[in-house]
Amino acid sequence: MNSHAAGTSNGGSGDAAAGGAARRNTRMPKYSKFTQQELPACKPILTPKWVVSVFFIVGVIFVPIGVVSLLAARDVVEIIDRYDEACVPSNMTENKLAYIQNETISKECIRNLTVTKDMKQPIFVYYELDNFYQNHRRYVKSRNDAQLRDASKANQTSACEPEKTTANGQPIVPCGLIAWSLFNDTYNFTRGNENLTVDKKDISWKSDREHKFGKDVYPSNFQNGALKGGATLNPKIPLSEQEDLIVWMRTAALPTFRKLYGRIYFDLKENDTITVRLNNNYNTYSFGGKKRLVLSTATWLGGKNDFLGFMHIVGGLCIFLAFAFTLLYFSKTKDFSVLAKASVYHYFSLTPYTSGNANPICGFGRKLGDHNYLSWNRHPAGR
Amino acid sequence: MKRFVYINDDSCRYSYCGNRISNTKYTLWNFLPKNLWEQFRRFMNQYFLLIACLQLWSCITPVSPATTWGPLIIIFIVSASKEAWDDYNRYLSDKKANERKIWLVKDGIHRQIKAQEIHVGDVVWLHENDEIPCDLVLIGTSDPQGICYVETAALDGETDLKTRIIPTISANLSVEQLGKVKGVVECPNPDNDIRRFDANMRLFLPIIDNEKCPLTINNTLLQSCYLRYTEWACGVAVYTGNETKSGMSRGAAEPKLTAADAIIDKLTIAIFMFQIVVVLVLGYFGNAWKYTQGLKQWYLMYPVEGEAPWYDFSIILLRFELLCSIMIPISIKVTLDLAKGVYAKFIDWDEQMFDWETNTPAHSANTAISEDLGQVEYILSDKTGTLTENKMILKRCCISGTLYGNDNGDALNDVRLVNAISSNDPDVIKFLLVMALCNTVVPIKSNDDTVSYKAQSQDEEALVNAAANLNMMLISKDSSTAEICFNGSKFRYELLDILEFTSDRKRMSVVVKEGQIGKILLLSKGADEALLPRACPGQQIQKYLEAVEMYSQLGLRTLCLGWRDLKESEYKEWSKNFQEASCSLDNREFKIAEVCHSLERDLHILGVTAVEDRLQDGVPETIKLLRNAGINVWMLTGDKQNTAIQIGLLCNLITSEPNSQLLSISGKTEEVILRSLERALLIMKNTSETKDLAFVLDGWALEIILKHSKESFTRLAMLSKTAICCRMTPLQKAQLVAILKSAGYLTLAIGDGGNDVRMIQEANIGVGISGREGLQAARAADYSIGKFKFLKRLILIHGRYSYNRTAFISQYSFYKSLLICFIQILFAFLSGLSGTSLFNSISLMAYNVFYTSLPVMTIIFDKDISETTVMQYPQILLHSQAGRLLNPTTFCGWFGCSLYHALVVFFITICAYSDEKSEMQELSMVALSGCIWLQAFVVTMDTNSFTYPQILLIWGNFVAFYMINLILSAIPSLQLYTIMFHLCSQPSYWISMALTVAVGMGPVVAFRYFKNLYQPSAINILQQIEQSNGSIQASGNLESARANLTNLLTGSRKNRDCYYHPLLSDSAESARTY
Repeated sequence: MNSHAAGTSNGGSGDAAAGGAARRNTRMPKYSKFTQQELPACKPILTPKWVVSVFFIVGVIFVPIGVVSLLAARDVVEIIDRYDEACVPSNMTENKLAYIQNETISKECIRNLTVTKDMKQPIFVYYELDNFYQNHRRYVKSRNDAQLRDASKANQTSACEPEKTTANGQPIVPCGLIAWSLFNDTYNFTRGNENLTVDKKDISWKSDREHKFGKDVYPSNFQNGALKGGATLNPKIPLSEQEDLIVWMRTAALPTFRKLYGRIYFDLKENDTITVRLNNNYNTYSFGGKKRLVLSTATWLGGKNDFLGFMHIVGGLCIFLAFAFTLLYFSKTKDFSVLAKASVYHYFSLTPYTSGNANPICGFGRKLGDHNYLSWNRHPAGR
Repeated sequence: MKRFVYINDDSCRYSYCGNRISNTKYTLWNFLPKNLWEQFRRFMNQYFLLIACLQLWSCITPVSPATTWGPLIIIFIVSASKEAWDDYNRYLSDKKANERKIWLVKDGIHRQIKAQEIHVGDVVWLHENDEIPCDLVLIGTSDPQGICYVETAALDGETDLKTRIIPTISANLSVEQLGKVKGVVECPNPDNDIRRFDANMRLFLPIIDNEKCPLTINNTLLQSCYLRYTEWACGVAVYTGNETKSGMSRGAAEPKLTAADAIIDKLTIAIFMFQIVVVLVLGYFGNAWKYTQGLKQWYLMYPVEGEAPWYDFSIILLRFELLCSIMIPISIKVTLDLAKGVYAKFIDWDEQMFDWETNTPAHSANTAISEDLGQVEYILSDKTGTLTENKMILKRCCISGTLYGNDNGDALNDVRLVNAISSNDPDVIKFLLVMALCNTVVPIKSNDDTVSYKAQSQDEEALVNAAANLNMMLISKDSSTAEICFNGSKFRYELLDILEFTSDRKRMSVVVKEGQIGKILLLSKGADEALLPRACPGQQIQKYLEAVEMYSQLGLRTLCLGWRDLKESEYKEWSKNFQEASCSLDNREFKIAEVCHSLERDLHILGVTAVEDRLQDGVPETIKLLRNAGINVWMLTGDKQNTAIQIGLLCNLITSEPNSQLLSISGKTEEVILRSLERALLIMKNTSETKDLAFVLDGWALEIILKHSKESFTRLAMLSKTAICCRMTPLQKAQLVAILKSAGYLTLAIGDGGNDVRMIQEANIGVGISGREGLQAARAADYSIGKFKFLKRLILIHGRYSYNRTAFISQYSFYKSLLICFIQILFAFLSGLSGTSLFNSISLMAYNVFYTSLPVMTIIFDKDISETTVMQYPQILLHSQAGRLLNPTTFCGWFGCSLYHALVVFFITICAYSDEKSEMQELSMVALSGCIWLQAFVVTMDTNSFTYPQILLIWGNFVAFYMINLILSAIPSLQLYTIMFHLCSQPSYWISMALTVAVGMGPVVAFRYFKNLYQPSAINILQQIEQSNGSIQASGNLESARANLTNLLTGSRKNRDCYYHPLLSDSAESARTY
C-alpha cells in the first residue's frame, strides 16, 4: 500500500513563491493542507496481493469459528412435541374449531415424551407457535406502554384498537390485542411419580419487569368482553409479576416463534419418559397454526441453531477462492508479460504530453502519457 | 408605443417607475409563500410533503410522523435560509447603488439626492468619473464643442472611450439655461438595444423655438457607464430603474440545475415508479392475504364484513406506500447541498487559483453547480480581457526595409532604432509622425503635465504610445490642430481632413498642414492589402510584404504606414469634392469612399508596425489542455474579425495551415450568407477527421442566420469544435449560448465585462474574470477567477472531483435508502403483508439522517487520482463529461448491490435469530447493525484515498452507532430499552455481523478486483500508473491496461460529439481573404 500526499499541480506554485512577501496583507486564502485538499492520503488499490490475502485471512478466521459454533449447537439437546393435532379428541378431528371453542369439553391432554439424550439442568420449556403473526401491523401496534408502566395512566388506551375499552367505556388494563390474545395452554411435567416442577420465575426480561410493567398496575376489565381471547389474568397480581404476559408482550418478529414457559431444574437421563399433562386451550385451529412443546438445553451460543456455524464453515471457501484467484492471475498474466516488456522499451522513446511545467510523475506514466495513445484521435469516436 | 418625457415637469414624474434598481427575488412579505412555492415545485419536495401528510393518518403510518416531518422541515429551513441570505446580499448591493448621491438641477438650483429618487424628466448633473445612474439624453457638457467622453465597458465591454455629443438643439444653452430648460423628449418604450435610440427632442419656449431635433444613441448617456475626461455633463433622465437599457438587458438569472441534478431527478422518478409498482403489488397481495388468511387469524380481530369503512382496501396500499417512501432518500438534498457547499469552499480556498497580481482569490458565488464544471462540453470565451490582457504594445516594426525588434526585445528598445532617431533619419521620423498623427486618439493632459491617451482603437493607442516613447510625443489635439513634441521642440500641425477608417477601406488617412512650412501632407495607415497596392509605382514593396507575413506568423497585428506630399492645388480640388460627397444625401458612404480613394494613391510606403495584444499568462497552454480534455472552445468577441483570428491563432484556438481550415460565414446579402453557411456545413461534414475545422462568423451574419436558418446553424455548431464569432452584441453572445444549450450541451461562458453578463447568466456555468473591466461580470457569474489560466484548475480539478463526489454521494444515498427499504419489503412477506415496519421510528430516522449521512460525507475529501495525474492526462475529463460515473447503468449497479445486501442482511438475521430469539426489537436491531456494518465497508470500498478525516468519520460513525444505541438502550421509556446490552453480550450477534460483512462484501470485492484486473476503466489504469510509480515489474498487465485506457477514453465521447479531432487548418475560404 503506497501512502503519499496528493500531488500539487503546476498551476500557481510559481505565483505563490513570487507573492510570498506580499502574503501579509492580501486576501489570499489561508493555506492549510485541509483547505488545499492536500491531506496526506493513503491510496490502496485492489491489487492481487491484497485481495488474495484478505480472502485467505477471512477464510482462516471463519473456519474455526464455524467449527466451534457447530459444536456448540450439537451439544444442545432438544425435545419437540407437536400436540395441537394429537390433542383433539378423535371424534372431533373433522371440526377442530368447534372443539376448541366449546368450553364444556375438557381440554386436558396427556403426552409422553422420551428423552433422547442426557439433559443437564436447567432445561428450558418453550411453547412454539407457527403461522401466528405477532408481527402483524394490526397486532404489533395494539398496546399502550404507558398504561402498562404507570397506574395513573390507565386511561391511556390509544393505539389499543380494537381492544380499548369495555362496552361501557371502561378502560381495559392491559389493553390491546396482544394482551387480549395471551397464550393460555398450561403444562405439567412428571417423570414417573416425580413431579418435575416448572419454575416460572424470571422467565421474562428483568428490565421489563422493573421498568416496563408497573408494580402497582393491576389488571382490570380484562377479558370481560363478549369475545374472549386468550388467558385471563389474576386482578390481584400486579403486571410486573404476570410473567407470562410479559413474555407474551415481547412480540416475535417471525410467524414461527418460541416463547419461554419456564425452566425445569432437574437433570434428565436418556430414555427417561416424561409425562406432560397439558391444557390445550389456545385456538390455533382457526388459522391452521401448529403448537409445539419444546424442552431444550442451552449453550453459550443459544439454542440448537447450527445456521451460523454452518455458514462460517462455508465461509472457509474463501481460502479456496484465494487460491483460485492466485492461479487465475498467474495464468492470465503470462500472456501479457512478454507484450508488456516489449512495449515498455518501445514507449520510453516517446515524449509525454505535459502541461506547462508539469513534471511527469514517473517513467511509467511517461510511457502511458503519450498523447498518441490517449487521444481519441487514433480511434474516431463515432463508433 | 412611445413615451413622452417632459423635461423638468413634475406632471409626468410618476407615470414611470422610479430609479430604484432591484435585483432581489423576494420582498419581506412574499418571501415565505414565494419561497415555499419555489421549493415545492421540485418533485422531490412535493413527494415528501405528500408522504408527510399521509403519515398524519395514524391508521396507516408504520412509524411516527416525525420521521418525515422533522427532516422535511429541516430541509426547508436550510434551503430557505440560504435563499434568504443570498437575496439579502443582493438587496444590500442594490441598496448601495440606490443610495448613491446624485446631483440634480431643478429651476436652476443644484440639489443632491439619492440615485433612487431620480424620476423620468429630471435633469441629472454629472461630474467627471461619475457612474451614470440612469439612461440620460445629453443636453449639456463642460466642453465648448458639446462633446463628452464615456466609458461603456460595463455595458458592452469595450474599454475605449466613446464620444457623446449634445444634440444640436441644445448646443448653445448656457449653464443657467440648462438649469431651467423645459421641453419634451419623444422616445420609444424601454428596450434592451444598446446600439439604438431613435427619438426626438423639442425644447419649449422661451429658450428655443418649437423645432424638432432627432436624437441618436450618440446623444445618450446610458446607465452604468462612466463619465470620463469631461468636467461635467448634464442630461434628462428618460429611462430609469430596471427600465434602463442596461437594466432591460440584464435579464433575470434563473436558478441553475446541474446535469448531475437532472440525472438524479430522473433516477428519483424512476425509483418513484418502481416504488409505485412495488406498492401496488404488495398492496394487492396484502389485501389478498387479509381476505384469505387474515380474517381467520382471530387475534387480529378484523372487523366483520360490512362494518369495514369504504376505504378499507386502500389502507394496506397506503401503508406500503409509507413503508416504501424511504426508498427515495429524504436526506439526499441536504447531503448534496452540504457537499456542494464544501466544494465551493474548496474553490474559494484554493491557493493555486489565487491571483497575486490583482490580489483576488477565486470565488464561487453559486455553490450549487460545481459538478457541472466537470461535465463542461463547450467553453464560450470572451476575448478582450479574458484571453488577452487588454494591453497593446508595439513590438516590432519595419522601416524602409530595416527590421527593428527581435525575439530578445521590443522595437522600442532596439538600439538601432534609437540611433536612427537621434541621427534624424528622415524615413524613421516620417514613420513616427504617421504613428503620432494618423489616428483619432485623444491626448489627455493630467495635472502633473504627463499626457495619457484615450482612443477608440487599442491599436492606435499603442502606436501613439510607442511614438511617444520614441520621443515623438503627441501633446495636444483638438478638432483643427495637433501639437507634437519631438526631441524637446514643439511642432504644430493643422488637421485639415480625416479620411475615416471603414471596414471596407481598411485604412485611414489624415491630411495635415505643417505649421511652419505650410506643406500639406497625406498620412495613411491601413491593412497591408489596402495600402500596399496604392504604393507609388516603382517602390519596392516586396520587403514589406515579407515583413507583414513574418509578423502575422508571430501573431502580431500589422499595419502599413505611408505618406505623400499634396500640392496645394490638388488638395483644394479634392477638398471641394470631399465636401460635396460629405453633404450628399444618397449613397453618401460610397461617394466618400470614392473621393478618399482618389487621394490615397501613389503613397510612399514607410514601413510596417506590429502590435501585440498580449495574451494573458498561460492562455495557450490552458486552451490546449482544455481542448485535450475534450472541451470545445469558442471565442465570442465584440472585436473585429482580423483581430479575433489573430488572437485565435496565438492562443491555440486555431492553428495555421495546413492542419486546419477556417470556414468563413459572411457576405453582404442574406443569400450569400446562407449559402456560405450551407457550404461550411457541407465541408464540416465531409472533411476527414485529421483536419481541424473552425468557422468564423460575425454579428450581422449571425442575425441573418438566426432569422432564416437556425437549424443548419445548430447542426454546424454541433459539428464544430472551434468557432470564432466576432462583432457580437451581448444579446447575440447569449443567443449562441442558448443554441448550444438547446442542443443539449453543457456550456460554460467566461468573460470579464458587462457585455458578457447575459451570456454568463445564460450559460450552464458562468465564469467571470475579476479583471480590468470592473467586477460586473464577476458579480453576475457563478464563479469568479482572477485569470483565464485558472479555468483549467477550476474545471479539471474542482469540477472533476466535484462530479465524482456527487456521483458517489447521490447513488450511495439511493443505495442506503433502498437497502433499508428492501429489508422492510422482505419483512412484509413474513408479517402477513400487513405493512409492519421492522425498524422503529428512532432507528429509521437516525439511519437516514445520522448513521448513513456522515460517512458518506467523507467522500468530499476523496480524490480518485491525484491532481498531477489529471493535469497530465486531461483526457480523463471525458469520463466525467460523458457522465460515466452517474448514469442509469451505474445506478443499476448500486440498485443491484442494495438488493443483494438487503437479502444478505435479512436472511442472515432471520436465520440466526429464529425461534426463541426472534424478538421483534432484537431482530430489528440485528438487521440495522448489519446495514451499518455493510455501509461502513461499502463507503470504505468506494473511497479511493484515505485521509484521516475520512477514516475518522467512517469508523467514528460506526463507533457512534454503538454508543448511541447503548445510550438509547439505557432509557426505560424507549422500545429500545436494554436491547443493545442484550445483543452486545451475545456471541451470536457478533458472529452474525462478521458473517454479514463477509457474505455481503466478498462478492463485491471479487467483482471489483476482476474488473480492475481484466477490464479496468481509465481511472483504474491511471490509479495503477500512480501506484506503480515507474516500476515496470509492478503491473505485468499494464500493457493491456494501456490499450484499454485508449479505448475507454475514446469510447467516452458521446456519439453525437465528433467524427474528427480538432486541429485547425486554413484553406480557400481562409483567413487570408478577409
